[in-house]
Amino acid sequence: MKRILALLRREFWENKGAFRTTPMAIGGVCIALMLMAIFTTIHIDNELYTFKQAMRLLARQPAETMVTHLHQTMIGISIVFTVVMSFVVFFYLLGALYDDRKDRSILFWKSMPASDLQTVASKLLSAMVVVPLIFWTVLIITQILMIITASVMVLSVGENPWTLFLSHLNPLGPWFMVLCSYLAASIWFLPFYGWLLLVSAFAPRIPLLFAVIPPVVVALLQLWIDFLRTFTFNNSLFGIIGEWVANSPVIISIQIQGGQETLALGIPYTSSFDHALTIGNILDRLFSLQMAGGLAVAAVFLAGAVWLRRRATDS
Amino acid sequence: MNPIISARGLSKRYGRTLAVDHIDLEIPAGRIVGLIGPNGAGKTTVMKAILGLTTFEGELEVLGLNPASRRAELMQNVCFIADVAVLPRWISVWQLIELTGQLHARFCKDTCLKYLAKTKISQQHKVKQLSKGMVAQLHLALVMAIDVQLLVLDEPTLGLDIIYRKQFYSSLLNDYFDDQKTILITTHQVEEVEHILTDLIFINNGKVALDCGMDEVENNYVELMVAPANAAAARQLGPLNERELFGRHIFLYRGLKRELLEDLGELRTPSVADLFVATLSGEPS
Repeated sequence: MKRILALLRREFWENKGAFRTTPMAIGGVCIALMLMAIFTTIHIDNELYTFKQAMRLLARQPAETMVTHLHQTMIGISIVFTVVMSFVVFFYLLGALYDDRKDRSILFWKSMPASDLQTVASKLLSAMVVVPLIFWTVLIITQILMIITASVMVLSVGENPWTLFLSHLNPLGPWFMVLCSYLAASIWFLPFYGWLLLVSAFAPRIPLLFAVIPPVVVALLQLWIDFLRTFTFNNSLFGIIGEWVANSPVIISIQIQGGQETLALGIPYTSSFDHALTIGNILDRLFSLQMAGGLAVAAVFLAGAVWLRRRATDS
Repeated sequence: MNPIISARGLSKRYGRTLAVDHIDLEIPAGRIVGLIGPNGAGKTTVMKAILGLTTFEGELEVLGLNPASRRAELMQNVCFIADVAVLPRWISVWQLIELTGQLHARFCKDTCLKYLAKTKISQQHKVKQLSKGMVAQLHLALVMAIDVQLLVLDEPTLGLDIIYRKQFYSSLLNDYFDDQKTILITTHQVEEVEHILTDLIFINNGKVALDCGMDEVENNYVELMVAPANAAAARQLGPLNERELFGRHIFLYRGLKRELLEDLGELRTPSVADLFVATLSGEPS
């Protein structure tokens, strides 16, 4: 256990830029963009307003409209965090067992009494738990800071932030849901993570190509064979992967307003928005037959990654 | 007492070439063994097998364990430095010390800091900011602070200045080494280690060419330096090897009584380097 913790610390130190600086930079940009609104004009319904005018206009809006604007802002931010996080995890796993083979530091790591299983486990846990926890924490801090900033901005033009929006806000539930969905997604995407680690342990160079080309080739072959047989495009690896991603327990909120449906990855901030995801259906997915199949695939990939890591040296 | 390393028929094949060809080795505790051989002789492969970094054929036990299957367990009692500096470049010195402390039960931070104090390395430095020699110093400081039964050093002093090299070998002998420990060293700078070695192993073409204690070298080998006039007489006694230096002829003999040679010229114990050249250049013609 102590070794695993030490190895997790190592992963954090090595990837501080991706794990910590990246979410902090996104948060910083969000707040900076918000502050910039003070000095620029605001675009509402094809009319330009100064910051002060816009605030007064917003204050006169019905509560429902206010909440919509707020919701969209918050969703926008969480989408950015979620999407960037998926890129961070993807590239982290792709390099996790490759980089120290490339720079030969693997010889140093192998001189330490940590088994290859522990090493691979530490990398997987970093991707599944450490990164989501950091991104989630920074997301919450960012949103708190934005709420505070918005309140100060509203106060400065003589409006009351409490009646205007603070009283409509109930972020604790959504924050909790985001955390649950991040962690559930980590389990859901295990077959992908396993594949990336396997490629990372195997690729002689450019792991990105080795990660992408085999599934693309398989899918194209399937498409071609299938097309010759049935003249339709169905059930290829592309389809399986696409369906898998679409079924992931990443939060998807559906906004239905006047018959119009908006689908978004993000957080349902108020009760006026339906969300497709509850703890109940997160658990449904994690205990599905589909998940069991996915875990079996992941186990094969991960066992391959450990096997390759055990044999890897500098040459 | 059980040997620290014991190998029987140890072989390693890369494609069609046999890099290590049925080597038998037995290294007991409390020795400092020099593993000497020309480039491509198979030294590094033997070391990798001992450290569990490569698969092999034949039998090999290190501290009673099979290194190929139980590397992590073995590393609790073995430490090694591979042939060039391989410390991760992104890490800073304090992080490296922290990590080693957490991963290695036998690491002593104070000892490591004591060795680092003799260098220009600060704890805030990142490995990528250090020169090659400083990285080697850092790695040596780490390794010297880990109390293990077997230390394997593959060209440990590459890139180090002569002052530090001398310092390192003397602290290796005086502060680190004791009769419970075994040190296995490969290096091309044989002259620097020969005075601390207790045993010699020559490897050539994947085979052991010589395996003996340093005391046996003293007893069995002798070098004779003669003027050209005596060269023919010396040659008749069947030297292993002959070379010329400043107009004098130097012959190397094995198993010859010193009294037989005394009259011909000056006698001395050969250096490991000369012995190595003589052994590898084959039997006398």
